[in-house]
Amino acid sequence: MGLIQNFPAVSILLCLFAGIISSGLKKQAARYVNTILISGVGFLSLCTLMYILETGEAFVYVMGKFPAPWGNEIRAGVLEAFMALFFCIIMLLSLAGGRKKLADEVEDGKTFLYYVLMDLLLASLLALVYTNDLFTAYVFVEINTIAACGLIMIRQNGRTIEAAARYMIMSLLGSGLLLMGLCILYDLTGHLLMSNIKEQMGWIYLSGQYKMPALVTIALLSVGLAIKSALFPFHAWLPDAYGYSTVSSAAILSSLVSKGYIFLLIKIIYRVIGFEVFYESRIVDVLFAFGLMGMIFGSISAIRENDVRRMIAFSSVAQIGYIYMGIGMGTQAGMEASIFHILSHAATKSLLFIAAIGLTDVSGGSRQFIELTGSAYRNKWAGVAFTVGSLSMVGVPLFSGFISKLLFAQAAVQNDVKMLPALIVLGISTILNAIYFMKTVIRIYTPVEEHKYESIAFKNMKLYVAALLCFIILNVVLGVSSQPIVDLIGQGLAMFS
Amino acid sequence: MYYMILSILFPICTGVYLLVRRDMESRKNLLIVTGAFFVVSAVLVILTLCITGNGIFTLFSLTDRLPILFRIDEVSVVFSVMTIVVVLCAGFFSFVYMKHEEKEKRYYGYYLIVLGVLVALCFAGNLITFYLFFELLTLSSMPLVLHNGSREAIMAGLKYLFYSLSGAYMSLFGLYFLERYGNTLTFSAGGVISAEMAAQHGELLLGICFAMLIGFGVKAGMFPMHAWLPTAHPVAPAPASAVLSAVIVKAGVLAIVRVVYYIYGASFLRGSWVQYTWMILTLITVFMGSMLAYREQVLKKRLAYSTVSQLSYILFGFAVMDGGSVTGGLLHVLCHGFIKAALFLCTGGIIYMTGKTRVEQLRGIGKEMPLLMWCYTIVSLGLIGIPPTGGFISKWYLAQGTLSSGIPGFSWIGPAVLLISALLTAGYLLPLTIQGFFPGTDYDYSTLKKKEPPLIMTVPILILTVLSVEIGLFPQIFINYLLRIVEKII
Repeated sequence: MGLIQNFPAVSILLCLFAGIISSGLKKQAARYVNTILISGVGFLSLCTLMYILETGEAFVYVMGKFPAPWGNEIRAGVLEAFMALFFCIIMLLSLAGGRKKLADEVEDGKTFLYYVLMDLLLASLLALVYTNDLFTAYVFVEINTIAACGLIMIRQNGRTIEAAARYMIMSLLGSGLLLMGLCILYDLTGHLLMSNIKEQMGWIYLSGQYKMPALVTIALLSVGLAIKSALFPFHAWLPDAYGYSTVSSAAILSSLVSKGYIFLLIKIIYRVIGFEVFYESRIVDVLFAFGLMGMIFGSISAIRENDVRRMIAFSSVAQIGYIYMGIGMGTQAGMEASIFHILSHAATKSLLFIAAIGLTDVSGGSRQFIELTGSAYRNKWAGVAFTVGSLSMVGVPLFSGFISKLLFAQAAVQNDVKMLPALIVLGISTILNAIYFMKTVIRIYTPVEEHKYESIAFKNMKLYVAALLCFIILNVVLGVSSQPIVDLIGQGLAMFS
Repeated sequence: MYYMILSILFPICTGVYLLVRRDMESRKNLLIVTGAFFVVSAVLVILTLCITGNGIFTLFSLTDRLPILFRIDEVSVVFSVMTIVVVLCAGFFSFVYMKHEEKEKRYYGYYLIVLGVLVALCFAGNLITFYLFFELLTLSSMPLVLHNGSREAIMAGLKYLFYSLSGAYMSLFGLYFLERYGNTLTFSAGGVISAEMAAQHGELLLGICFAMLIGFGVKAGMFPMHAWLPTAHPVAPAPASAVLSAVIVKAGVLAIVRVVYYIYGASFLRGSWVQYTWMILTLITVFMGSMLAYREQVLKKRLAYSTVSQLSYILFGFAVMDGGSVTGGLLHVLCHGFIKAALFLCTGGIIYMTGKTRVEQLRGIGKEMPLLMWCYTIVSLGLIGIPPTGGFISKWYLAQGTLSSGIPGFSWIGPAVLLISALLTAGYLLPLTIQGFFPGTDYDYSTLKKKEPPLIMTVPILILTVLSVEIGLFPQIFINYLLRIVEKII
């Protein structure tokens, strides 16, 4: 079936074209194009996934039939196709959940630009997931940054411009480090295609030459991508960027954009540097340590926060810490746990962002906790959804967060050195999570005496409720029948090498 | 088999139904519907116990190695019967008691969910299932604690939540290790740790066991994590405190029974540092709880401290790991369940009729509500351990088992502490009786009015009282049954 092998490349190109076409369309039309695009790409990814599962091996697609080392390659395995599919689902649901709110948040004349940026963002995410060429990865990292900046800034007020500027500076620093890493890598190996570099890296590692440059490269690549995905202590840009942008942007930025970079890092670890080489360098320990710190400090900042959106944003810092802790474990099990957490966090965090907007909307638009009192009675669906998201974040069984935690712990007990710190921090972080999420849940369910704000009726928010329900179902599915997904992840990682 | 699932899901689903449906037109309708739900749930559980054999029912699998499964054994029977009786009595009691509280529908909704979760805990067949429902129990019982919505209640609810979650995490910590080192997490009498594992990772497994004891001990109010109990119980409505104090804390006891006797096995732990530390902790708790109760003036708080102390009687019996002491512990689970529920319901009756909460305000209460105070006195005697009540039998077995266990030091320190604590129990429970029936010569009889609470409040208390005495009058039925459990696990 040669046809399906074209799908990954086609979906990237489709996104780019859709972006170009939408820039000449009205907002309604741009919205339709965007929705059809995401669903279509999701369908193509599903086909690719089925195809790979059937054939049982990954395929490489050579762009324009130029062979390596000159041509550009795309590679699709189980994990890549699955990620692409998952990203499409989350993006579709996040956009649906924030659609009604978008009219208030973005000026009428600029709405079509919002969808153009979304198309480009999807293109860059797909490219990051599928590419087999490091330089292409770099190009799309930049496109991703620009699109994300635009998505933050499109809601025009002072805070977002400041946030976007911060994001820009930090992100460019990250891409700069990444570029330097790529340059040194190119210098060392003379290749840009992932498979070729890996071959050469294996030689270099065995010969024992260039130890220092190789270490520096690994460090530059890891730190560059860590900055871009907001690993503690590089997270200063995150709370404003997630806290003040439009709600769909916040959901997508936290659940997809930062995860795209992490996925790229995982790909680099497996497909460029080689898992053993990466493990031998002591960078894993650094990532592990920063991951642990992020888990604690992110949660502490969230506890001190008095603004619900920023609180959820800070919680992302903690969750990214979890993911890096798993990567830093340096084992197969740790990596599987991290990838599962990418999924579970994406499903939960976007749910929380979307639910939070429903709660703040029925509290006069204020995000202060004092105003949110009793808001779950004014918007029942958002209250239920927020509770589900919180329970999942705290790690109550039956929801996806519990399975992530279980996988992390299972990975930790297999590693004698890192077992104790990982489990202890996991425990502390669980309790800190419980403090701020349960505090919020109790707050929104505390009845109020005088009714200051109007409640919202179901018929005014059908799409919103549908999106929330889909998110809740996604969460429960991840939490109840996790085994097939974990198997899929394991299979995908096996295909990486 | 399906009865098992039905008896768990029916109360949970009806509870959720009550939570989400619109307010009923009249209070009477709500009570009829809720009462019907109570009765059907109870019938289902009893039916399940009668007709289900030793089969295993797997609901679904969280992951390949972690199935959610249920199985009924003798321990499940003991705990679930106690649960059903207490929950039903307190439930019907609340029909009158909750009249002056708001949000009744919410209360009954969560109450039914708690019932379902408790039944599920009794039926749980492996550790992960138990853990799942243990977490759900915390979450569903929290709304009962913060029912009246005052700042004090919310703070108490949060305290309860954080203590429970911290405890649950410590147990989860153990679960992670056991999942790797144990062959299986399925409960089986005598333990599942293989001799090979025990030899290789003995110290590690002991440490984990200790963490799990402390973790699950939070729910059972074991020192040093007991502080939530006296805060959370008094703020809840009285019937909810009865359930909390008599049944929900027993979930912690059940957890410890399962971990110690059905995962680790008594032979693995006997003579280890874990056993000694555990005995020391429980004895400290027994003594400290009684002391604090003795000094406390608010009646509900006093009873909460008493729960702390009495639960550690049970745990001490399990810690000694002798046939007699375990029998005594299991019997005390039943006795304490009935007695403490009756005590809290009596307090509820007093609060409902007079609004008084402190012990010194209750002079002459026995003249105002004689029937209630008679029940109070009888069950108090049971808690102190005076024959012919059930408490005497259970404490007798506890003390005898400890004496015959031959553990150096503890075999005589244990009974001594239990004896001192029994005296303290008399010291904190009986003054109310004495002042209540003999208010002294300066008591003004002219203002005396009969304030006996309505029948629907007194009948549940009477039932519980009769049950607690019945255990003392015909102990052989219970002891024989419990010995069957003990034979398997010791």
